This record gives sequence, structure tokens and C-alpha cells, in this order.
Amino acid sequence: MSGSANAAISLEGVSKRFGSVVAVREASFDIREGEFFSLLGPSGCGKTTTLRMIAGFEEPDEGRILLRGDDVSHVPPNQREVNMVFQQYALFPHMGVFENVAFGLKIKKVPRGQLRERVMEMLKVVRLEQMENRRPQQLSGGQQQRVALARALVNDPAALLLDEPLGALDVKLRRQMQLELKAIQHDLGTTFVYVTHDQEEALAMSDTIAIMNDGVVEQIGSAREVYEQPATPFVADFVGTLNALEFRVDEVNGDVAIMRVSDDERLLVSKGSGKPGDGFRVGVRPERIRIETDGKPTPAQGSRLKGVIANVVYLGTLTQFHVDTSTGASVISNQLSDERTDTLGPGDKVVLTWSLEHTWVLD
Amino acid sequence: MDIATSRNGLRALRGFFGLLVVFLYAPILILAIFSFNDGVLPTFPLKGFTLRWYEQFLSNPELLEALRTSARVAAVSSILAVSLGVLAAIVMVRRRFRGKAAASAFLLSPLVIPYVVFGIALLILFFAVDTFLQSTFGLELGLGWRAVVIGHVVVSMPFTILVLVPRLERINVALEEAARDLGASGLRTFRSITFPLIMPAIVSALVIAFTLSFDEFAIASFLASTDTTYPLYLFSQLRFPTRLPQMLAVSVVVIFLSILVVLLAEIGRRVAERRLAVEPSTAIGGSGA
Repeated sequence: MSGSANAAISLEGVSKRFGSVVAVREASFDIREGEFFSLLGPSGCGKTTTLRMIAGFEEPDEGRILLRGDDVSHVPPNQREVNMVFQQYALFPHMGVFENVAFGLKIKKVPRGQLRERVMEMLKVVRLEQMENRRPQQLSGGQQQRVALARALVNDPAALLLDEPLGALDVKLRRQMQLELKAIQHDLGTTFVYVTHDQEEALAMSDTIAIMNDGVVEQIGSAREVYEQPATPFVADFVGTLNALEFRVDEVNGDVAIMRVSDDERLLVSKGSGKPGDGFRVGVRPERIRIETDGKPTPAQGSRLKGVIANVVYLGTLTQFHVDTSTGASVISNQLSDERTDTLGPGDKVVLTWSLEHTWVLD
Repeated sequence: MDIATSRNGLRALRGFFGLLVVFLYAPILILAIFSFNDGVLPTFPLKGFTLRWYEQFLSNPELLEALRTSARVAAVSSILAVSLGVLAAIVMVRRRFRGKAAASAFLLSPLVIPYVVFGIALLILFFAVDTFLQSTFGLELGLGWRAVVIGHVVVSMPFTILVLVPRLERINVALEEAARDLGASGLRTFRSITFPLIMPAIVSALVIAFTLSFDEFAIASFLASTDTTYPLYLFSQLRFPTRLPQMLAVSVVVIFLSILVVLLAEIGRRVAERRLAVEPSTAIGGSGA
């Protein structure tokens, strides 16, 4: 399951307790060399504890942590070849930008000339070469962020650990830093392990996402996988917006379960082993639901529900429709804003349709 | 209306402040005035200006020796007290362990033990230890300035802890973790990160411990033996009326030097503070002397 040869970091059955609270429960996964790996989850899910165990600030109670194949579970942080970017940057306030970035190299006793060269080179990468004499307090949030990044990356770590590094920045700067981080990661080829609670951020940046909840890794996969094929109800709900609908099997046709809502309304879902009378919940993403004005012909394949628009939320690029359906459930449908969506308003009768492949069983 | 901002409230506060200043500084002023008075008795009317008393104390070898002893005791005991205080404060702030509250109370308990009682207790202890050492190893530590140092370390350490703890609490643990993460050993982290960041509090603590030791009387009186400290000497000389003006003169010099040291320490602390620009703090014990 783990410990494969090209893994930068491997966790093998790692658990961590704080008193009676289990922070991380038997986490096992590999982080490939050079990939952008995100730990995503709500606060208190154990993602930061997991990162801190990789960094060496916490010791696992059970299991092993391998760094490029070596067991580092109980190696102190100053002897691990990983470096961290802290949540509030944790820049040394009594040192200038240059000294901050040079700190790790000085400890490694890198000769002065080489040290200066490497620090300046890294400051160039993060576009702060003019700022070497400033103090951290004189820099903006984004600049401080980049100093923290340079301070860690200059040591050429086996992996860079980032603990919600963009949490303190405003939205616009955040977007920009996301792109910059991704570009730097791409250019240097360093393995990034990125902790965030922001699912959009994780989706936008990551090669691989591990979604954690209550100390358990619920799913590991690419952004597309965790979004489109969520392995658990939690993942489905946490990543993106989700419509959850009560489903009662009326009829089974091959591996498709059918719920007949009325003569021209039905829900379809693929379910390997279903029989009439079964009840469960199904999920569908808002952007997969097409919205038509009542009366128009709709495709034969897929689910179809009638409803009345209760609320329209204009989001700029998207328009979000909250529709009260005939099953009693409120369903959200996201549409690209255009002339058609402009004409729809609360009280309008609509038909919602979506295809079979975008419906899945939640539990 | 708030009592602190109403007209009468303000007047009362100003009056109270005035009284406070008078009671604090009037004695010092009197002291200074009579140290320049050309007469043995500290009574008005003044007799004329003289520097005689200053010349006298500067040529009094016993007094100068007492000042040196006190300076030595204060220097050694304050450095020891602050060193131990730093270690204790780090443990109290950074570590979690069972019985922390009890340990904290234990460390701070010398604050509430009367110095006289403590002096006697130390005297008995040292006597017992010496008896034991002498009978088993033929060694003798004896009393004297080293014993006074030990006594002063014990009573000044709680003050240093009280000054250092809030400062340490304001240093983000992540700074120390970042240093560790970048390869620094525990000791290196302390030297490069923690120590420079708590420097202002260390200066404050040193000043407090030094002044506390310099004018401490009760403990020294039990332990000093023949190493007379400045307060002990001063007290012993009060029996001789003709020596009084000389004692006033030396006291004025000591007070002046103390104020100067505290002032310099406070300026240094502020400069350091500004350089770090960790949110500007209120003076933590900088005026404790």
C-alpha cells in the first residue's frame, strides 16, 4: 500500500492522540516526488497534525513516517530534510529579510559567498531581491508570505510543507499567490504538501488531494476524482456544493434504479445491487442540473423533476437557482449567466433534468 | 459620567497623584538637601553649602569596601537569578506537565516569606551544611558574601520570573518551531531566536534583581558575617551622629546612580522594542527599582 520507491513521503498507519482525542487515525498514503499534494478538511480534522508529524513537531503514537524511504517517525525536526511555511509566516522579527532567508544555510555552515548567492537567487525567485535589507514588519502580507517561502525553499528541502499559508491574505492576493505558488512549485519541481480548509484552493492547485474528516483520510485522488467521484458522503458534501435527494427504488432496470415521482418525473441512479423498496440518498452537482422552462421537450435519458423557482442568486459568471421540486426537496442549479437565465425569476415553473452519469448514491 | 473624566473626579485624581509624588520624593529631596548642609544635625534652618560629606565618604575605606561588596553581591546574584529565572520561565510557559500550578506557586513562594524569617532559616541551614561538610570532608564554606548571594538569588528569582513570563508568552511558538524546522538545535534556537526576543525583559529583570540585592538588609544581616554590605554598614553607622551627613551623601549618590541605571535600561528596552516592533508593550517592570 505504501513505501513505494518514488514516494517523497510515505505515511504507514500513522495515528496520533492528544489525551483522549484521536487527532489522526491510521493515516496511510504516499506523496509522490515532485507533486503538489493537499490535505483538505474542516478545522479540527487532523490535517495540521498530520503536517506537523511530517515536519517533526509531533511524534506519531502509532505507525511510521518515511521520508525518501527513511523512517523519520522519531527524528527531531531540525534533522529532517523538510521545511515548513507557517500559518502566520513566523518570520524572525529581529532579523532582516536576507538574514531570515539565510538562517537555514547559516546553520548548515554554507560558506559565505555561496550563501549570499543562494539567498539572492531565491529572493529573485520570489521577486524580493530589492527587499533584502527590510525587516519583516515593513513588508506587506504577500511579501512576508514570499519571504517565508524563500526561507524554506532556499534549503532545497525534500518536501515543502505549507500550513494554510494563504489564510491571512485577502481574496485577490490569495488568488494571485495561488498562481505564484503553483508556478514556483512547477519551476523548482519541489514536492509541496499543502494544508488548507479551502476546497476551491485545493482543487485549483493540487495534483493530489487527501480529504480528511475527524482524523480519518476519507479519500485520496486528483481534483477531478474527488469532485466527480466522491468516495464518501462527507467528501461529496465537503468538496463543492451538492444536492442530496431522498431516493426510493420503485423499479430496477439492469443496473439502473428508477424512482417514479409522477407520470413525467423520475430519478435515475446506477446502483449495482438494488431492489424495489430500498431507500437511500443520491447526489448531483448543481452545475450538472439543466433548467428548462416548463413545457419544453426534455431528453429521454436521465432524471427529470418539475419545480418552482424559489430564489435566484446572481453570482456574476453564474446564476444560482433554488428550486422547490415536486418531491419536496429544494434543489440548487447553477447556470452560466446568459439571456435565458436573465428571464427566469422566482415563481416561474421549471423542469430540471440531469443525466444518469452525474448522479451517484451517497449512502 | 465617569469618575475619571468628570471635573471633580479629575481634580481628586490630580490631588491624589500630587500627594503620591510628595510622599515618594520629598524624603529623597530632604536627603539631598541635608547632604549639602554644612552641619552635623539634619535640622532647619540650613547652615550653608558644603561638599565635605561627599569628600568624607569618598575617603572612607570601610564604606567604599561595603559598596564594593554590595555591588559584587548584587551583580553575581542578579545574573544567577535571571539565568535561573529564564530557565524557569521557559518551562512554565512552553511546557505542559502535571503539577504545573504547584510548581509555579513553589517558584514564586519566596515573594511571601518574610526576609527576616528566611534569613534565619538560611543561617541555620548553612550552619548545618557546614557542620556536615566539616565533619565528613574537612571543608568549610562559611558565611560571607557568597552566602548572601545565595539568599538574594532565592528572593529575587520570583521577580525575574514575573517579568520574563509575560514576555515569553507573547513570543509566538511558531518562531521557535521555524528555527527548529530550519535545522537549529534547541540551544541554537534559544541563542538565535528566544534570547534576542526576550532581551528587553532580561534587562528589566536584571535591573530589578540588582537593586533588590543592593539594598537588601535582613537576609544580609544574618549571612554576611564579616563581608559587610552597604545597607549593613549604613545601619551600623547610624549609632554615630557625626557620621550621619556622610551617610546621607553616599545615599544620594546611590540613589542617583540607581535612577540613571533604570533610565538607561528603560531607554535600551524601548530601543530594542522598537527594533523588534512586536506590538509596543507597556513597561514590564522597567520601573521596578
